[in-house]
This record gives sequence, C-alpha cells and structure tokens, in this order.
Amino acid sequence: MVTPESIKQNIEQGMSTAHLSVTGDGRHFEAVVVSEEFAGKSRVQRHQRVYQTLGDRMREEIHALSVKTFTPQEWAEIDVSRKT
Amino acid sequence: MDVQELIRQQVTSHPVVLYMKGSPAFPQCGFSANAVRILNSLGVKDFFSVDVLTNPEIRQGIKDYANWPTIPQLYINGEFVGGSDIMGEMHQSGELQKLLKA
Repeated sequence: MVTPESIKQNIEQGMSTAHLSVTGDGRHFEAVVVSEEFAGKSRVQRHQRVYQTLGDRMREEIHALSVKTFTPQEWAEIDVSRKT
Repeated sequence: MDVQELIRQQVTSHPVVLYMKGSPAFPQCGFSANAVRILNSLGVKDFFSVDVLTNPEIRQGIKDYANWPTIPQLYINGEFVGGSDIMGEMHQSGELQKLLKA
C-alpha cells in the first residue's frame, strides 16, 4: 500500500523543500510543498517538478494526489487557516 | 494515426477539451467530477470531453503529451492549462474565467 510517508520521502529526496506535509488514507493523498525552486515558475511547472520526484510511481501506484505549491514567500503570506 | 497526433488534433480543433475518467454526466473519479463542476459553474457546458477509461491508448498518450501524469487534464485553445488542483486555484483567483473568455 502507498503511504503518505513514502510519498513524502520521494519528494524530500528529489527536491529542496522549506516545508513539506503529506496526508492521506492510502488512496487519496494531499501534499503541501513549499520550495524556493518554485520561484518564477508557472503552476504547471511547479506540479511537474513535484511529479518528477515521484517518477513512475505517479503513473503506476499513486492515483489520487492533490498538490499545493508555494514559494517560502507565498507561504509566509497566506492565511494560517489554509496551512493544513 | 499516431496517438500523439490524434491528441494534437483534438486539442486544437475544439476551444475547450477535458480529458477525464467517465463522462461529464457520469464522472468516474472525484477529481474529474470536480473539473466538470468547475467548467459548468463558469457556464461552459458544451466542452469536448474524452473518456480515457474507454480509450486506453489516449489514457497513456495524454500523460506524455503534456508531460503530466494524471487525469483530468484541461486544454483551452490548444494549450495545456492543468489538472484538477490547478483548475481549482485558477477558478478561485479568477484566471480561469479570463482564459475561457479569451
């Protein structure tokens, strides 16, 4: 079974993150990724960067992963209640 | 026809194209249902949709087409816009409405 921890580990190893949380129930997952690497990148490019760290797992094992991306600056500015 | 060429023709010959699981009336996954809901709420009801569950070749090919491993995928005027999360963010910010009017 896919665990949130294993997804977190892949993302952590694949890119630099300032904050990272992954929650999920084994079928549906949600990742919040804060990284300097997102600066100046489009939403599509940000998601592609996260998907890249998961490689073939995205195609084969992980069917439902929701991703939210922020730069450290955006993260500092958003409302606290949205930081799940 | 090559599947990449088929996809290119689909996304360039319709203004709004959604690759999804199931049909707009009967979505087969929560993310696809969410994508349809967003389009409908913006008054886009006659978009071209492709059910990847009944088109296995497209289901694989679409992942390579935009280097995007998940379904749904939204295309507007031939350009890849994003998946369900991005559609939600762009809907909230008003960007999606602008893009659809263009």
